[in-house]
Order: sequence, then C-alpha cells, then structure tokens
Amino acid sequence: MQTDILEPAVQACRVELGTTSAKLHIAGDWRLAELSRLSDALAATALPSLGQRAVDIDGSALTSIDTAAALLLLNRLASAGAELASLSLSGFDDRHRRIVELVRERMEPPGARKPVRRRGAFAAIGAAAIEMANLVLTHLGYLGLTIAALGRLVVSPASLRRRELFAQLGQTCMTAIPVVALVMFLIGVVVAYLLGLQAAQYGANIFVVDGVSLGMVREFSPLLVATIVAGRSGAAFTAQLGTMKLTEEIDAIRTLGLPADQVLIVPRVLALCVALPLLVFVGDVLGLAGAAMVCALMLDITPSTFIDRVQDALAARHYLIGLAKAPVFALFVAVIGCSMGLTVSRDTRSIGINTTSTVVQSIVIVILLDAFFAILLQELDL
Amino acid sequence: MSAVPTPAEPVIEVDGIVTRFGKQVVHDGVSFSIGRGELVALIGGSGTGKSVLLREMIGLHPPSAGRVQLLGTDVWRSTVEELTAMRRRFGMMFQDGAMFSSLDVAANVATPILEHARVPADLLQPLVDLRLSLAGLTPDVGGKMPSELSGGMRKRAAIARALALEPEVLFLDEPTSGLDPITARAFDHLLQFLCRDLGITVLIVTHDLDTLLTIAERIIVLGNGKVVADGSIDEVTAVDDPWIKAYFSVRAMLGDAAVKTDGGQRAGGRHGA
Repeated sequence: MQTDILEPAVQACRVELGTTSAKLHIAGDWRLAELSRLSDALAATALPSLGQRAVDIDGSALTSIDTAAALLLLNRLASAGAELASLSLSGFDDRHRRIVELVRERMEPPGARKPVRRRGAFAAIGAAAIEMANLVLTHLGYLGLTIAALGRLVVSPASLRRRELFAQLGQTCMTAIPVVALVMFLIGVVVAYLLGLQAAQYGANIFVVDGVSLGMVREFSPLLVATIVAGRSGAAFTAQLGTMKLTEEIDAIRTLGLPADQVLIVPRVLALCVALPLLVFVGDVLGLAGAAMVCALMLDITPSTFIDRVQDALAARHYLIGLAKAPVFALFVAVIGCSMGLTVSRDTRSIGINTTSTVVQSIVIVILLDAFFAILLQELDL
Repeated sequence: MSAVPTPAEPVIEVDGIVTRFGKQVVHDGVSFSIGRGELVALIGGSGTGKSVLLREMIGLHPPSAGRVQLLGTDVWRSTVEELTAMRRRFGMMFQDGAMFSSLDVAANVATPILEHARVPADLLQPLVDLRLSLAGLTPDVGGKMPSELSGGMRKRAAIARALALEPEVLFLDEPTSGLDPITARAFDHLLQFLCRDLGITVLIVTHDLDTLLTIAERIIVLGNGKVVADGSIDEVTAVDDPWIKAYFSVRAMLGDAAVKTDGGQRAGGRHGA
C-alpha cells in the first residue's frame, strides 16, 4: 500500500460499499490541474450506487487538496445522493480538512440554480426596433436642446464659450485640412481620369471639365468631406464626451453650476458648422486641382483653358449649393456625435460601441440628407 | 509538490530593484523576501513607487536593474513559456478591479479557468459560484455586468477572478481604497481568511492604517527609493523616519480620541489583535 502512494499513477479514489455505510478513500494530489482526471476516476468508482448509505471519507493518503478538487468531490457525492451535512471526514491532515470543510460550508447545493431564459428571434427583432426608435427620439431631443441653446446664444451672445469654440475649431477644421486635401485631390484625379478615358474616344475632351467641376463642387466634395468629418470629428465628440461622462467630468460641470449644453454641445456644433463649409471649399479647390492635373497631362487641356472652361460651365449656384449643404450635414453629425457621447452607459465598453455607432449613423444621415437635397433642388429647378 | 508550509521558503524575492523614469529615480536598490503563507503590506508615501514595484514583481513593467524571483521563476529573465506557467500560479487584483466590461461577472471569473484548466463542463458553474462565495458574493451576482456593481462588489468580483486558478500568491493594489470603513474591514477579514484558511501568500499595497493594524503580519515601508522599514507593526513604528512617524501619528491622535471616548477598549483591543 505504501509503495502505491509513491507511484505516479496512484489510485485517486476507491469506494468500499457496506450495507448501510460507505467508505471513500482518496489519495494523491487533488488539485485544479487534475480535475478532469479526478472526475473520471470518481465516475469509475461505485459512487453512483451509493444510495442512502452514510459516507465516510478517508483522506489519510491525501498529499494535497485545493478548493476546486474539494468542490468536485462534494459535488459528485451530492449528485450520487449523499447527504453533505452528515459526511464524516477521517484521517485528514488538518489543512486538508479545513479546505474540505470550507468548501462544504460555502458551496451552493447542486441544482439550486435557475436556468437563464433566452430571448427568441422575434423578441430580439422587437427589442432592436424599440432601441432604434428610442435612439431616434434621443437624437431629436438633443437636436431640440441644441437649437434652443443656439437660440439663447442669439439673445445673449456673451454666453458663448469662445475658448472652447476655438479649441474645437482647431481640432475639427485645421487638423482636418491635410486629409481632406489629399483625399479630394485624389478623387479629382480619379474622376477626371475615368471621365477622360470615355470622353477622349469621342473627342469630347473639354466636356470632362464640365463634368468634373459640376460633380465635384455640387456633390462629391460636400458628401465626401462630410463623411471624412463624420469619421474624424463625430467619432471624436462621442469618445471625448463619453470619457468625460465616465470620469464624472460632466457631473462636475453641472455641479459647478456651468450649463453643460453651453460648455459642451454648443461649441462643438458651432465649430463643426463653421468647419465643414471651409473644408468643403478646400475639397472643391483640391478636387479641381487634381482634375486640372489629369487634364493637362492626359487630355491636352492646359490649366488656363481648364479655368476658362470652369468659369463658363460652373454656375455660381452649383458652388453655393455645395457649400450650403455643408452646415446642415455638420449640424446632424455634431448632434449625433454629442448625443451618443452623452448617452454612454457606465462602462468603458459602451464608449467603443457608441463611437462606432456614431460614425455609422452620421454617414447614413449625411447620405439621406444629400438625397433629400438632390430631390428638393431638382423640384425647385436649381 | 511541497505542500507543507515552511516559513523559510521564499515565494517572492525582490533583489536590488532600481527603477528610473528619465532622470527621476523611483527605486534605488529595493530588496526584500516574502515567505510562503505570509500576509504582507507594502506602504509608502505618494510617489514612492509602490504600484510600480508591484507591476515589476508580476512582470508588467521592467525594472531598470535588479532581480525579481516569484515562485521560483526569475520574472525578468525567463522565457515566455515559463512566465505563462508562473502567471497561472498567482492572482492579481487591480485597484479598480479591471473586470472585463464586455463579460458578466461569472464569465469574468470563468475566463482564466476556461483558458488554463480542464474542468468538467458540469462543474464550471459550481466552481464559479464557489469562487464568488469565497470572495463573499452570492451566486446571483454572477449574472450581473461589472458596470452594475458597486465599488465594494467590483473589488470582491475582482478577487473572485484572481482566485479562479487557486493561486499560491495574491497581489492586491489598494484593496480597500474607496470603500466605506465597514466594507473595508469586511475586506480585511476576507484577506485574512484567504491567507489563513487557504494558505495563500498575500501582498497588499495599501494606505489603509486599519488594514495594517488589524491584519498585516509584516509591513514593508518604501521611502527615498529604498526599504525604510520591514517588520511587524511594533518594529516598524520604532524606526526613526519622519514619514513613518507622521504616518502613524495620525493613528496615535485617533487612538487618543478613542481612549477618551470609550475608555481605551478599542485601542487596547487593537494592540491585542
């Protein structure tokens, strides 16, 4: 028997069934790392046929036991029908006995747990729809709040937080210029190149200028710049305000008696409404520059011819329509960004979720608004 | 596997740790050793690098010089495999719990178990419940998200996760900060219970004088980049250091007040503990 214990494959457990009592011998290392082996060993004993017998556990050959293994032992005994309260422990080392007693005291009786109810597909769709409706209502609420705050600003212009506004202008406008310039220049190049390939077949090179300038100034530039800004600034608003909410900075602002909407929302919305038309202008110029480059290199249209043709083909209203759409896009992007930021729940994960959601919602709303403008302006014969 | 606790067996050995951030020297030769089953508190003023030292001990931040031996593994001179094996043998409770916010509490506790241990499927739930219960939580807390928990519950849940793999050593960064005194004392008893009944070696970074006075068997004081004092509460208070004097004089003032109000029972009881 003594030599058995020293062997690595020591028999972990053995059951002696008597008529009214049973003795369970456990031996070796009973540890978390061995749990599945121990579970198999317990299942291989006569444990399942325990019935109503009084159980005595002999732990004299035990070298170590931890709470996980003790839990396994007691859990299996309970499943076999043993009364845990009347178990007797014999031959245990003091420390081992303490751990088994501790687990017996602390463990939940098996089967006490209620199963979790899962939501069906229909319920999930319904819940998502309600969530969506709530989201739209929240945004509408913040839109109203913003407009009211802007209205108050008209009455008392002194309440404008200039420092915040200029800080936001710097972040949303100045630092966005390089990426807007690069993207729109490349878009100008691509559009002019693709149009040029087709037009050159019919010798209609000069009409490339008409197409590019009209499309760029009226549609591409506002739409694409608004998309870039939605990804840059809309997401930044949500992340900034969400983090501030999580660290209770927004509560601090309110507690100090500062109007949170004037301090946080108005500067951001105003900054974006100013920044976006400016960025669209940058996009217009760089887009046309990209197109002019392609025209000069590929279509034999010199830059001066290009500029002359733009002046003929591009009525001022196209340019103004392009610029006029920008503040409207900006208002919606900024309000969505702020609203999503201020409605993060109290954990870090929701900042990420809300930021992603802001970008998606902003891009969708920009495209929806653009479609609305296209139809509206068509009906107005503009 | 040597299950018998011998006080001489060191579990944590910190040897000549030097830490520099740029020109600022945080630690200038910090050395101590902690034996199995000890409950040790690490204290020091703000900026003395307690948390940094803790991070160096568990392999999160490399020291500029020196050696950390944890459970027989040299933390900063071992392979990734050795480090991973060693990491299964200690638990860490971060100051704000650092619960994974996308998982509920039960899934948080189950994460290390599922990752590192093979547990029969039907035993996972009872095991998670047992961990929660050891940390003083009821099983229904398992279904909650970390964001729904109060500060004290979040810290308990963090301990439950740190206990998941039956650690031999438990590190705790400010376990009682931000808790009310009653919850904080309950926490002290929990730590004492883990150390005494489960035989876990516990190292606490703390500012809480009550924790020190009620449960710490040994206190290590950091100051000026070195270990200023190391020993039992009486040994530490006897050290002639301005910070230690100032730190414990706060307690002396409170103690005097207690003597005046309830005839010294509280102060006496505390010395007996």
